[in-house]
Amino acid sequence: MKTRTRLILVAACLAMISALVMPALGSATVKIGILGPFTGSLAFNAGEMKKGMELALDEVNAKGGLFGQQIELIFGDTEAKPDKGLAAVKKLVTRDNVLVVGGGYASSVNIATSEFCHYEGCPNVVAIAISPTITNRGYDFVFRTSPNSPQFLEGINEWLAKVKRPKRVAFFMENSDYGRDGQKIWEAQCEKIGAQVLDRLYFEIGSTDFTAAISKLKDKTPDVVFNIASTTEAALIQKQAKELNFVTQWIGVGGQFTQAYFEMTGPVSEYAMGSSLEPTKAMKDPVTAAFVNAYQAKFPGSRPGIFSSQGYDNLQVILDAVERAGKPTGNLAADRKKIRDSLAATNMKLSQGLIRFDKTGQVDTVFPSPVQVQLDNNCKADTQIIYPAERAAAEYQTPKPWDQRRCK
Amino acid sequence: MESLFLQQTLNGLIIGSIYSLIAIGLTMIFGVMKISNFAHGDYSMVGAYTAVFLMAWVPGWMGWVGSIIAAAAVVGILGIVTERLIFRPLIGRWTDIDIIMVSIGLFILLENLAQLFFGATPQMISDPFKGATVHIGGVSTSVLRVFCFGFSCIAIGALQIFLNRSKLGVAIRATSQNRFAAQLMGVDINLIYTLTFWVGAALAGVAGVLYGTTFAVHPLMGAMPTLKAFVVTILGGMGNIRGAIFGGFILGIAESLGGNYLAMEYQHAIGFFIIILVLLLRPRGLFGAKEGT
Repeated sequence: MKTRTRLILVAACLAMISALVMPALGSATVKIGILGPFTGSLAFNAGEMKKGMELALDEVNAKGGLFGQQIELIFGDTEAKPDKGLAAVKKLVTRDNVLVVGGGYASSVNIATSEFCHYEGCPNVVAIAISPTITNRGYDFVFRTSPNSPQFLEGINEWLAKVKRPKRVAFFMENSDYGRDGQKIWEAQCEKIGAQVLDRLYFEIGSTDFTAAISKLKDKTPDVVFNIASTTEAALIQKQAKELNFVTQWIGVGGQFTQAYFEMTGPVSEYAMGSSLEPTKAMKDPVTAAFVNAYQAKFPGSRPGIFSSQGYDNLQVILDAVERAGKPTGNLAADRKKIRDSLAATNMKLSQGLIRFDKTGQVDTVFPSPVQVQLDNNCKADTQIIYPAERAAAEYQTPKPWDQRRCK
Repeated sequence: MESLFLQQTLNGLIIGSIYSLIAIGLTMIFGVMKISNFAHGDYSMVGAYTAVFLMAWVPGWMGWVGSIIAAAAVVGILGIVTERLIFRPLIGRWTDIDIIMVSIGLFILLENLAQLFFGATPQMISDPFKGATVHIGGVSTSVLRVFCFGFSCIAIGALQIFLNRSKLGVAIRATSQNRFAAQLMGVDINLIYTLTFWVGAALAGVAGVLYGTTFAVHPLMGAMPTLKAFVVTILGGMGNIRGAIFGGFILGIAESLGGNYLAMEYQHAIGFFIIILVLLLRPRGLFGAKEGT
């Protein structure tokens, strides 16, 4: 019995050692680390990001890959928690020896992981997170392909000031950095345009019943409700507003408009607004249109949402920088430094528009547009850009009372 | 103003009826087996996914009614399986805290299995009332919510009749009052354990279909019902069925009125605030027996 236990132990140790050695032996691939909450409550959004990346990978491989080597994406699961994210990024940077870390979702996680990458001298290109903190700490190995929150809401703020001019507004948002960050920006805008804030309500992430809060909002009759929420909560809020017969102009940050959101709400989401980088076909940009077509060819029946587009652009930027930095020499620190320098010189046109970084590593050329959910003749809901005029694909529609709506 | 108060009371009553339906199973299981099952809300999650799959196959009214029956059957069996394989072998041998840890393990296991097999994307069970709403005076709600309220009340009433009038029901109550005395009176304790888990889990499964149709279905949806069911159970007195019924309604109304008139961000904390008060003033719950009786 004792010998058998010992043999099993030895075998287990051998298995562990070989698992450690194997990747080091077969290193003839270009290794890129990708962070994201692949499990947990944000997993479906991370899945969309991953699909966008798969498309980018296919396109680069179809052109012959990089330096005749295979590109290997190594995924690190952050579970949307900063501590799990740190563990995942440590493994990618120090054990898997990736050249660059991409992906990443949720501000609080990326604030932590980007700091680690910076001090390890490994370039980090953050895909989906809007907190300004990520790029304003002066870390020169940190880049971000998504707009930060002031950039994200610039278009919608202009629309509020020039077109909507609401007099009575209310806030209903997630009790998190995401919710309070957006609130700060909109509070300032409301003060500027002279809108009266009637109420500020918060909800916990993961809540399902919002009837109490919506009833309270309804009682105050606001023209606009700023609703900063993620997909599931935003969809449930729309449905429950209908149940409670409440009509207002809902405005969100924009991240809620995913495929799952439209499946959950259907025509109920009509008139809801957000600020979005949604790569819909309505966009007049040929590169964006090409992305949408390629995405739908690869994933039939899927709707390329903002996260697919951000994932696609993120990996394209990374692969482009790796290519311009030249074939890796095997000296990891020097290779990473070269990639950092070529990232800083990024200048390419992708699904979100032109991508170029400012001195802090923040993309300063991508500006989301205000979008509104509108219905086509078959009552199918989709977002349309409504402002500014040169980009707009549709006119703004004022929300109608529930009993006068065409689609029930 | 007045219609706002009525609206909030109605919101609270409706959500409270679903809380009661889930909490009754939890309190029954606690009463009979003295087990705090933290995986109870995940029975609702499994029930909701049963409906998602059945509705994909048989849509519309037929599918929905069928889903309620199928959820009761599937989750009832899951309840029996977890009782036989996990909880029964531990009772009496391990301490309460061990059993709580095992049930938390089961909760994590079920959530992750659901994510593995069904994916993390939230799904909908289509509303058989097609989103119809009712407006009376200044008060509005959906037909589905009215149905959920009525259905919960009927299910709770039927359970009460079963527990009070049938021989098995009396045996369950007897076991709940005193396990050993019931055994001495010739009650087959093992059968009662299985039966209690079956009924408790099936009710949670049915509640899961109602909850999933009103809200959304995703692997993590069980956590909130578990939390609420524990609040309700402690509020009404652990193991006290009448307590769970009223506790559910009290919690629902306290949350919506408290959210409205105190602070919306503390809506979910209100239940715990009430618990602290109840535990300070009436440690055995609002409807629990007094000490020493």
